[in-house]
Amino acid sequence: MQGGTVLGMKFSPRALGLFLHDRRWLIAALIIGTILYFVEPPTGLSREGQIVLIISLVAVILFVTEPVPLPSVALMIIIAQIILLGLDSSKVARSLMSDSVLFIMGSLMLAVAIVKQKLDKRIAYLIVQATGTGIYPICVGISFVCGVLASVIGEHTVAAMMLPVAVTLVTLTSNNPKEVKGLAAVLLFSISYGCAIGGIGTPSGGARNAIMISYWKDFFFDPTNPETRRFLVDYVTWIKYAYPIFLLQLPLVTFILFAVFKPERKTLRRAVAKLRKQIEEQGPMKGRDWAAVGIFLATLVGWVTMSESIGLGTIALMGAVFFLIVGLVPWNDMNSGVNWGVVLLYAATISLGVEMQASGAAEWVATSFLELLGPLNMDHGMPLLAAYTGLTTLVTNTMSAGAAVAVLGPIALRTAELANENPLHLGFITAISSSFAYFTAAAHPAFTIVYASGYLKATDFFKVGWRMAIMSAAVLLLAAKFYWPLLGL
Amino acid sequence: MSDMDIELDVEAEVEKRFSILVCIDGSEESYSGLRYAVRMGADNSADLTLLYVRPVDQGLSSGGLQMRVARENMLKWGVELPGTKALKKGRDMLVEMGFMADDWKEQVVHTDVTGDPLGDNTTVYMNDEGASISLKLLVSPSVDRGILDECEIGGYDITIISMSETAEAKEHAGYISPATTFMVATQHRGTVLVARELEEDHGHFMCVDFSDKAIQAAVKDAQIAARCHCPVHLYSVASNEDELEKAKGVVAKAKAAIEAEGLSIAGESVEIGDPVESIVGKGRKYSLIVLADTSVKGLRRFFTTSVAYEVLQKAANSVMIVR
Repeated sequence: MQGGTVLGMKFSPRALGLFLHDRRWLIAALIIGTILYFVEPPTGLSREGQIVLIISLVAVILFVTEPVPLPSVALMIIIAQIILLGLDSSKVARSLMSDSVLFIMGSLMLAVAIVKQKLDKRIAYLIVQATGTGIYPICVGISFVCGVLASVIGEHTVAAMMLPVAVTLVTLTSNNPKEVKGLAAVLLFSISYGCAIGGIGTPSGGARNAIMISYWKDFFFDPTNPETRRFLVDYVTWIKYAYPIFLLQLPLVTFILFAVFKPERKTLRRAVAKLRKQIEEQGPMKGRDWAAVGIFLATLVGWVTMSESIGLGTIALMGAVFFLIVGLVPWNDMNSGVNWGVVLLYAATISLGVEMQASGAAEWVATSFLELLGPLNMDHGMPLLAAYTGLTTLVTNTMSAGAAVAVLGPIALRTAELANENPLHLGFITAISSSFAYFTAAAHPAFTIVYASGYLKATDFFKVGWRMAIMSAAVLLLAAKFYWPLLGL
Repeated sequence: MSDMDIELDVEAEVEKRFSILVCIDGSEESYSGLRYAVRMGADNSADLTLLYVRPVDQGLSSGGLQMRVARENMLKWGVELPGTKALKKGRDMLVEMGFMADDWKEQVVHTDVTGDPLGDNTTVYMNDEGASISLKLLVSPSVDRGILDECEIGGYDITIISMSETAEAKEHAGYISPATTFMVATQHRGTVLVARELEEDHGHFMCVDFSDKAIQAAVKDAQIAARCHCPVHLYSVASNEDELEKAKGVVAKAKAAIEAEGLSIAGESVEIGDPVESIVGKGRKYSLIVLADTSVKGLRRFFTTSVAYEVLQKAANSVMIVR
């Protein structure tokens, strides 16, 4: 890369102009923040709460517009908490590390380790063995397998593994991408949406789930009060709430995709035959392949049976450490495959979320939101859940799902308390609808990875996305109305 | 003749070669720019560089898993990166047009880039006469920054960049948006050809104003047009009757300067009217509207405008800003 900052170039008005142009959103965010800092806090909002909201607003502008490297936003959040809120630096540092941050770190390391095992060809083989060569059953198979895998190991892992499978099927069908546009769209979107809807299935399906679990625990669990134990949501409880929603959406995904795109071929007989030949060249499963599967399954069992006692994050780290100890992945690969800045970013955002609750900012926003919903008769029951589904869907389409839950989570939970609703229900609504980031190619990690193949148009995501968002929101609200009350939490 | 003399001669020969940068984003408009570059570099008298800029991935949008992991997995399956595909299409077009042959020597250069382990990748093709064609897949914080950096480092005689808002163009992952094109056209220190509905055989519409820069630009444009055997029409606009004679004088001066270089023009005309509206209207039937960059420099550019930039914004066809 050829550098180009004002400090890296001979100083000139042109360099300064470019420098300022690149950072125009940073300048705008800082100006807005500075103006708001000198404005009197509104009634009901403490000075600390006002500052937390200003920090959140500036951070959101920077998340959305990305004028500076995102990890630097995380560092700015940390510095702002110490300087503007006057918090002790050690206290802020402690608030950065929690089980959900360990989980994010561990699951990213696991993601790299799993992608490196080259199990993708084996999975592809299993799919085509089960589905045959018809394009519709193959898409159902891909969505199903991607969804199930994404529900336990994170959508980015699955998208990175499965993308070459779909692209290979497309290229083996035709060398001219224009001839197979529809085919490429249904295959690649089967991966994207399979992953997107699967990520809600279990706590380990995404950072957003782990963040919400940690908020429930931090905000509501009181060791001296046995009543509050229900806020310690374990792996199985999460599955009970969320997995049926994922399964209900599965058949609808393929239906929507085939309603929007018309694949040019009905069968992929030739492509599947060639793919099968490629896969057979790999030979039978070897010792290291079995070891990788073994560690993955052990991690999964650990999440199901021990997450309540030692935490999701600890188990994810154990899985990653096992991959390293056995030698299935070198540290250098793991180190370069994980964007550590993102871990820092999540840590800072969660820390800000905690401060939002402590400073009363969450309460003020929640109260204001309820006052807004009151005249519409949406400040309680199902209408309130629908309002939060809409709000979260809107926010998550502008930033990452994890960041959306980190920012909206404390507000949603406080809203539930003020409206006498179940915080578990509103928490699930927020966490699950944060996965409805369907509108743009950059909205979901799986989308970004699949879009990088170059086979999809950016506009295609919205074409499918709005239909998917309506479908997913409907399924979620129906589950909240008719299914969750049966669970008795 | 000593070895050193031969070396100096070769260096001088290399220095003399005309070089063209063509920004490729996979759209038809960017390939029409490439076709025009081939005309300008007729008989391999110019070196071509095809550039595709891939914005660096910040990691958050791929959920913290480096995009590299997914890309490496794709490469292991033999699936190419989108930029590679677009550049290879450009190379295949050059072969089809006879600008390049299959037997050219190939050299691949990889440069590590902080923040993106896939880095910059360049494939250089050279023939025995020293002509070269480079395919560059660069990574940069943004597309405009990547192009401007390459312009700065490469010192190209002309940069060709597309301006397209068609649905077809937007389909491509490396789409060069109009904002990016405008940024490059305004910030680049060298000559920029903004390709927009570029038709090859309708000549250059060279517009001159009362500045010395305009005369120099007219000569430079005539030299560029001569490379592709394109006719040049000289044009000037007077804002009122009083300026008409002055405008005629400028056209005559530009014509004399061009002829002094052993070149000729196909026609000349002068009109009274609004410069921007007249140039955009009259220039529509030509392949290119050509203007000198006579605007103010540096920070003042942010507060003022010039005829060249207004024409660039309003014209429906291609515009070349000569610097």
